[in-house]
Amino acid sequence: MANRWGYPDLGFGIGLRSVHFEHILNHHPAIDWFEVLSENYMDTGGRPLYVLDQVAERYPVVLHGVSLSVGSTDPINFEYLKKLKALGRRIKAHWISDHLCWTGVVGLNTHDLLPMPYTDEVLRHTIGRVKTIQEFLERPIALENASTYLEFSASTWPESEFLATVAAEADCGILLDVNNVYVSSFNHGFDPKQYIDRIPRDRVVQMHLAGHTHKGTHILDTHSDYVIDTVWQLYRHAHRRLGGVATLLEWDANIPSFDVVHGEALKARRFREQEDARPAVEGVPAYGD
Amino acid sequence: MATDPGLERIQRWMQACILKQGTHEEAITSEAAQQTIPAAEARQLVLPSQTLTSAERLDIYRDMYLLRMEEALAIDYPGLKHFLGDDEFLRLVARYVDVHPSRTYTLNRLGDDLPGFIGTLDDCPKKEFSQDLARLEYALTMVFDAAETKPLTEAAVRAVPQEAWETARLKPIEAFRLLAFDYPVSAYLGGVDGENEFPRLGRKRTWVVAYRRNYQCRRMDLTQPAFELLLALADGEALGEAIESALVRKRRPAVKEEQLFDWFRDWMAAGLFQAVELAAPPPAGAGPLGVPDSAPSAGERS
Repeated sequence: MANRWGYPDLGFGIGLRSVHFEHILNHHPAIDWFEVLSENYMDTGGRPLYVLDQVAERYPVVLHGVSLSVGSTDPINFEYLKKLKALGRRIKAHWISDHLCWTGVVGLNTHDLLPMPYTDEVLRHTIGRVKTIQEFLERPIALENASTYLEFSASTWPESEFLATVAAEADCGILLDVNNVYVSSFNHGFDPKQYIDRIPRDRVVQMHLAGHTHKGTHILDTHSDYVIDTVWQLYRHAHRRLGGVATLLEWDANIPSFDVVHGEALKARRFREQEDARPAVEGVPAYGD
Repeated sequence: MATDPGLERIQRWMQACILKQGTHEEAITSEAAQQTIPAAEARQLVLPSQTLTSAERLDIYRDMYLLRMEEALAIDYPGLKHFLGDDEFLRLVARYVDVHPSRTYTLNRLGDDLPGFIGTLDDCPKKEFSQDLARLEYALTMVFDAAETKPLTEAAVRAVPQEAWETARLKPIEAFRLLAFDYPVSAYLGGVDGENEFPRLGRKRTWVVAYRRNYQCRRMDLTQPAFELLLALADGEALGEAIESALVRKRRPAVKEEQLFDWFRDWMAAGLFQAVELAAPPPAGAGPLGVPDSAPSAGERS
């Protein structure tokens, strides 16, 4: 347990998706854990919640949201937080995560993970909101680095340092999405390993892996394919830096069978074991150092 | 050149650009965008990358917005999309979200105003059919998400004293919607799902109950008298009174007793009711039959 809260390394999980409900209920597959999209279960009394209750009884679960809008200048939505808190308690979620982004203002929601300018003003704003949210939820949250497609000229901070500073000052966790690091590094032209090296290991509670869509001029974070080799290599690097961290495979479009998605998640175990068996390389900081 | 108008202005500007359909130039020169940041200043806000201009980078978000909205609405309105075709459905979505952008944290309720919105359009193909179909699909989304309530058991029905039925009220389950249409849209949806042949699309009055059983959304076609009886029961009319008016309707053949039995047998088998609420107080300590003691007391209307 390298993180400061002692959150466990849950192993290798996948996102709970409705196309796999039948398989999960009928076969009770041997999977370490599930990540649950918070908003899909907050306002329903139907089948999704029925399935989730059963899944949560059998497997460790964590909540992952897309509408916390932590960077928005709109007032914090406490009705949303109330439901999020209740859902977290209901399913005994190990932790709750969302993204370092904003999703809408003036009462609207674009349902996209929109980028923020990384300035001192935005840093103070974000830290304040994260503190308020955590106070309300009565637990730390983990913030994920989102894939982004543009940068603001106003930014004065590299995203990795901005995220690390928010985490330190607001005392929150980090969900390091390795694929997103790669996607943004291609779109913005930075070194993805350097990004990962700037992430404080005691803040990282979870990692994400996913496939993406390369459009030639830019990469879109589509969660629609297998993880590419370069991202696996980055994951190895991240594991060496951060140690055993709960790892989740995201697959949200053109979703194949449960076994295919799970099989992709289990590749992470192989990379971790290979990395753990490798002798330490001089000059490369490892989590045990 | 770096420009920092502050977070609030940047967010309002970016959102205005994303929501504005049309070209990039139309977006950044739109009234909503320029109210926050003038176009000349806005052109300095986003850095270009090695492969994309700042305009192209912003347009990635603009392009994805409509696709995301279409994807969400296609999940809730698959029949309507099938009926209109991909292009016409996307055109409808574009017009709809322009007037009804999402205001909640969930996409599940994005389409709540779509049936009403279709009614306001002058040029929607086969507007009345489209609106009926959208009403049905919207009702199914409500049924899908409704709170789970246990259906009335046979034992609970048998426990009702014979003399109490006349004034008893049947309380429907939460996942229950009654709908009347001018077109055979339930049969059309059945055609989309491969359950039946596609019907003729001409005007035809139809009546449907949408409900959920074992967490599966279902539809049951009704005759007009059955619909009216079910509607009266759902509105809280006492059983005797509701049946009385269903049995005898002016300008319509009277409903036979056997028909009534068939309806109730089908409705009970479908699990449409969650409780029998008795007019007279039951023995002390008992709640309404079929619901826990914590539920509203007997005689209370749903």
